[in-house]
Amino acid sequence: MNSVPRTRSRRLLSSAAIGTLVFTIAACGGGGSGDGGDTVVIGYTGPLSGGGAAYGENVKIGLEMAVDDLNDDGVEVDGKPVTLELKSLDDKYAPSTAASNAQRLADQDKAPVVVSPNAGAIKAIQQINSGRSNFLISAYTSDPAIVQSDNPLTMMIPPNFESYASEFTETGMKHGGKKLALLGTQSEYGQQWTKSITDAWKEAGGSVGGDNSVDYATVSDFAGPVSKALADKPDAIFVGGPSQPTALIMEEARKQGFEGSFLVMDQAKLDEMATVAKIDNLTNSVGVLPVSEYEDPGTKDFIDKFADKAGDKKVPTSETALNYQGIAIITKAMEVSGSTDDPEKIRASISDALPEVDDKYKVNGFPDEITDQGHLLNPNLEATYLDDDGEYTKVPIDQVSDAK
Amino acid sequence: MTLFIQQLFNGLALGGVYCLAAIGLTLVFGVLRIPNLAHGALYMLGAYLTYFFLTTIGVPYIAAIGIAAIMLFVVGVGLERLVFHPLRNSPHTHHMIAAVGAMFFFQALAQAIWGADFRRMDTPITGELRILGAEISAQRIVIIVVAVIVLALLAWFIKRSIHGQTIEAIEQDRVGASLVGINPSMVSMLTLGLSALLATIAAGLVAPINLLSPTMGDALNLKVFAIIILGGLGSLPGAIVGGFALAIAETMTATYISSGVGEAVAFIVLVAVLAIKPTGLFTKAVQR
Repeated sequence: MNSVPRTRSRRLLSSAAIGTLVFTIAACGGGGSGDGGDTVVIGYTGPLSGGGAAYGENVKIGLEMAVDDLNDDGVEVDGKPVTLELKSLDDKYAPSTAASNAQRLADQDKAPVVVSPNAGAIKAIQQINSGRSNFLISAYTSDPAIVQSDNPLTMMIPPNFESYASEFTETGMKHGGKKLALLGTQSEYGQQWTKSITDAWKEAGGSVGGDNSVDYATVSDFAGPVSKALADKPDAIFVGGPSQPTALIMEEARKQGFEGSFLVMDQAKLDEMATVAKIDNLTNSVGVLPVSEYEDPGTKDFIDKFADKAGDKKVPTSETALNYQGIAIITKAMEVSGSTDDPEKIRASISDALPEVDDKYKVNGFPDEITDQGHLLNPNLEATYLDDDGEYTKVPIDQVSDAK
Repeated sequence: MTLFIQQLFNGLALGGVYCLAAIGLTLVFGVLRIPNLAHGALYMLGAYLTYFFLTTIGVPYIAAIGIAAIMLFVVGVGLERLVFHPLRNSPHTHHMIAAVGAMFFFQALAQAIWGADFRRMDTPITGELRILGAEISAQRIVIIVVAVIVLALLAWFIKRSIHGQTIEAIEQDRVGASLVGINPSMVSMLTLGLSALLATIAAGLVAPINLLSPTMGDALNLKVFAIIILGGLGSLPGAIVGGFALAIAETMTATYISSGVGEAVAFIVLVAVLAIKPTGLFTKAVQR
């Protein structure tokens, strides 16, 4: 008759354990939201481990810098001082995880805004952000599909990527020739770009070779795909994925004797690419303007602060800079609306908040309006052409409509 | 024709890397009877350590690979002692779960130490060779030559040296080998250490033409499993033939069909082998 008390004691033990656990969870939940009106959580869900970790970290640095600077300046909403707090969760690039992270940030931490840097994740979060729980999505993606869905609580930060295709085509043709090879990455976003460039190039009367897109993340040696692309003797090559592998592809193409121009997708940043490859191998290319080439009032200080935080070996990119701006805009919108917990009010005040934002937060093409669908528009969007001497020349970009 | 020569050399260089990585995996399977899913992570760790010695400490390239390889040998032995040895009598699923755990651990460790950013490792070996009109970078020639030398040394070690022969003996018959006085747990340690060492050489060779990141082993992991299944689990010649065959098939299909097919070819081969000849090209491993 030994077994009965043993089972009983086990039951007792396990219920005690569960009880403690429940109590701890409850205590944790209380800690996040129980401080009254003085702390506002800015939620962030992004890839902090796995293949996208570098990207997710870059975004996070921008958010941290913004939160620190804004807290130093002092935020006051409805006459009360407010402290911002950044809460980051890892979603490993998975949309489903991103959605549950966002839900958790909104419910448990009462975050009025959640930042997400990935189109797939944003689409998943848009299913849950204006219903039972309400929160604003600070969306860092240049895929216009996220504003086409008419979600009332989305703020899209970067320019629509489709805007680049025609200028890139014109510049690429001018410095290369009429024959384009496609060597972009195989991600969903890479394929959207490939299509957009293909259409623009054909419209401009050029010819496009076969699609040689490769998965930049899994290819062990880029020499093979590059040799194949060069076999068609192209005058220009479309490349792009994360900066570093893109740089390697361009370097390989130059080594194998390619002399034409490169069209570089916006995911890759020319100055970041120069950290892994010699600039000589990257010239004669058109791409997005590096942060350091912007002339906004706060750019210089931002770059200095970034070097203090991330070390001077790292190059600040638009992932960091635009999210830095984004948080400043949202915080100003909270101040203008007088609310930290009503996302609808905050969203409605963004338009009025834009001119009020302090100059120090204007670092990377500051927007002067937000469309009805929630897209921030920078009036003077520019890309860049990196010439043979390694100098950046600005290329003005006409922005296309976000409509389908 | 130039394109063909170019791609043949690209394929051979890739094949050298695949071989070195696959042989370690197949040895581990032969001796420990487990698919070491952490193999790609050991490869990644080897690349980072080579990078550390070359770039941070400033050791010459070949020496950096050597030191990293020896350190990874120790890591491999540690992995066997701390993870696989305690699980030796448990069901196979436990090994796999433990290996996946080790993989995530190594990835997180690398991210904590070196950060999530891609890193580039420069080598002193630069320049190009012109062979029949094709431009082949010197680094790729070095990869092919070193792979052949290392494979020859390994073959000698396993066939001719006492310690190497114990590996083969255990592969053939674990009980029989222990009856004649071979200590299986020593051999297990030696094998895992050796597999990590070979993976490091592969990583050190390929790192200059690619980038370092904590997840760089993931793609390789899948490919080497396809290779050892193609070659026959546990078979040394199988891993060599499989490695070169898969690499050349990959570059050639990517060249003459499409890059999408090139990426998929490893898995097409995998499915075909499992459906038609599940024991692989060189049937050797005795499944118990």
